[in-house]
Amino acid sequence: MLGVGGIFVFTRHLSDLNVRIAIVSLLLFCVLGLSSGCNRRTTPSRDIAESGQREFTDEAGRKVRVPGNVTRIVSLAPNLTEIVYAVGAGNRLVGDTEYCDYPAEAKQVAKIGDTMHPSIERIIALRPEVVLVSTASQLEVFTKQLDEQRIAVFVTNPRSLEEVFHSIETLGELFGTRDQASVVVADLRKRAVTLEGAIKQVKPLKVFYQVSGEPLYTIGREAYLTDLVRRAGGVSVTADVPGAFPRFSDEAALAARPDAIVLPTGGSMGAANSTVATPLKNSPAVLSNRIYKINDDHLSRPGPRLLDGLEEMARALHPEAFKQTQ
Amino acid sequence: MSSSSQFLDPARGTFGRTVFVCGLLLLALFVVLVIGAVVGSQRLPVTNVLCALTLRSDCGLSSDQQAILFDIRLPRILLAGAVGMCLASAGAAYQALLRNPLAEPYLLGVSNGAAVGTMVALVFFGAHEWSRPVMAFVGALVASFAVYQLARSRAGASPERLILAGVIVTTFLSSAIVFITTLMDATRIRSFTFWLLGDLSGATTRLLTIAVVVSILGSAVLTAYARPLNLLMLGERDAFDLGVEVGRVRLIVFLAAGLLVGTSVASSGSVGYVGLVVPHLVRLSFGSDNRLAIPASAISGAAFVVVADMLARTLIAPRELPVGAITALIGAPLFIYLLKRG
Repeated sequence: MLGVGGIFVFTRHLSDLNVRIAIVSLLLFCVLGLSSGCNRRTTPSRDIAESGQREFTDEAGRKVRVPGNVTRIVSLAPNLTEIVYAVGAGNRLVGDTEYCDYPAEAKQVAKIGDTMHPSIERIIALRPEVVLVSTASQLEVFTKQLDEQRIAVFVTNPRSLEEVFHSIETLGELFGTRDQASVVVADLRKRAVTLEGAIKQVKPLKVFYQVSGEPLYTIGREAYLTDLVRRAGGVSVTADVPGAFPRFSDEAALAARPDAIVLPTGGSMGAANSTVATPLKNSPAVLSNRIYKINDDHLSRPGPRLLDGLEEMARALHPEAFKQTQ
Repeated sequence: MSSSSQFLDPARGTFGRTVFVCGLLLLALFVVLVIGAVVGSQRLPVTNVLCALTLRSDCGLSSDQQAILFDIRLPRILLAGAVGMCLASAGAAYQALLRNPLAEPYLLGVSNGAAVGTMVALVFFGAHEWSRPVMAFVGALVASFAVYQLARSRAGASPERLILAGVIVTTFLSSAIVFITTLMDATRIRSFTFWLLGDLSGATTRLLTIAVVVSILGSAVLTAYARPLNLLMLGERDAFDLGVEVGRVRLIVFLAAGLLVGTSVASSGSVGYVGLVVPHLVRLSFGSDNRLAIPASAISGAAFVVVADMLARTLIAPRELPVGAITALIGAPLFIYLLKRG
């Protein structure tokens, strides 16, 4: 179910319906079993001697060859754009999507379309050495064409916070900015550890993470957000549901009786997803007024700002834990 | 059509047979509705549910279970039934009126017309729930008349021209849908896209009531016009010679079928395949006399979608499948089997 997850996260940044129709068809394909059990660990491997090319295994388990010195990068997702800037390769980013709005410089970069409908012509015209893609389902559309142009396509698909860190480090390696990537990850990891200490004593809350209310979507077993909820002092009531972003049954939502509901909204999402889905209206979370709106850009983009999202979620779920430490 | 004379004649026994067959089908529909109420992604105790369905209040269901049954599950299966009834009876009527076995709300562009109408309603009169079925009805009508006019030649609408016209109108309207959605507010778009694929969850009480009432009334109107439709199956010319007011019958059938398709699309989006498969299954089983075929299609269509939705809700629970995928997955093999056997 690799595709469903990533795609759904990205739908939140899309504003074009066309795109969404494509997404829906992709979702259907995924539901019908086009899942890819892929190699989780991404490892840079030996240099390929003469050409100076290096070979990496991306997070879809594909072998990707990139030049020794990557000078031109195209990113097809906002979280990847954020990672490129964070690891210090922002000045080499020559193309990104219409949803890439952070950091502010990303808006000035040449736009290649949106995440689901990138313009292959524009990508080729930008002559990148590497194209960064956030989910494997985007691949089929253009991998072959890009291969013919000798443009490498690197896929990320993190399923936990650790895997997000790993994506950041791998991309640093890929761009030759390993040191800065390590600094970034070390800082993020330090914040994660501090947070872990702060909420060590709390009693985990049963959390329902509402990806979208109508239709009802939530996070499942393979979502990095399930890990994130756990780290914020919660237990996702849908943690055992297969897939990353499953379409969830109204009945099951009603029966789940969560103590708290997280609504990722705001940011580039605007007001979307700012109300609790109807079946959850009488849940303990609503009755005790534990509905937490958290900036969607911090949660739905598995990149350097994910720690902001994690901290915001932890503070929302367990304000008491943070009063003591301050 | 060699046996046509037998059902042109208001023969004795037809009425009795219709009542018998429809009675059996209604019984089957009732059973399926009860099973649909018992089965779901959340396991509810069967005996307590059966007790609660008789509207007694002391059945030992917790308030959550009560809410699951009455606020979520029952509205959904009723909507499934209404949608199935709308699409199947409209399909049966189109096939008879247009003398075309492929005539079906989707192939004719009627569903897309209704979808465009619903979208216009959402964009311009979002606040008024009534505007959705009304505009869907208007869209369905405009599309069906457009197809009919395009397909029309001296001898009435020929089957080939009709399908071609349907494909053209469908394609045109699909583009219109894409066009309108690009103009829509981004926050509405996602739920809208799922709606386009057919989504039976979360209908409001008002839309559900409209769907149930329209499905029954619309199917009844079409059944009332079953005899002229039988005559029309001989061709418009012959039907006219036999005293059928062709223009009036066509208008009323188009209106009723458009209302049915519009209501179904406005409340649940596009659930495919029902309007094609169900009437054919019914004809293969009970013959093509519309006096039986139309009401039998209506009831079977309701049962068919209730079963399809039950599978969609339970197969991978607590996740859900799109109901349209199930209707096609069951419908096509069943259809092929009956076709080969017949």
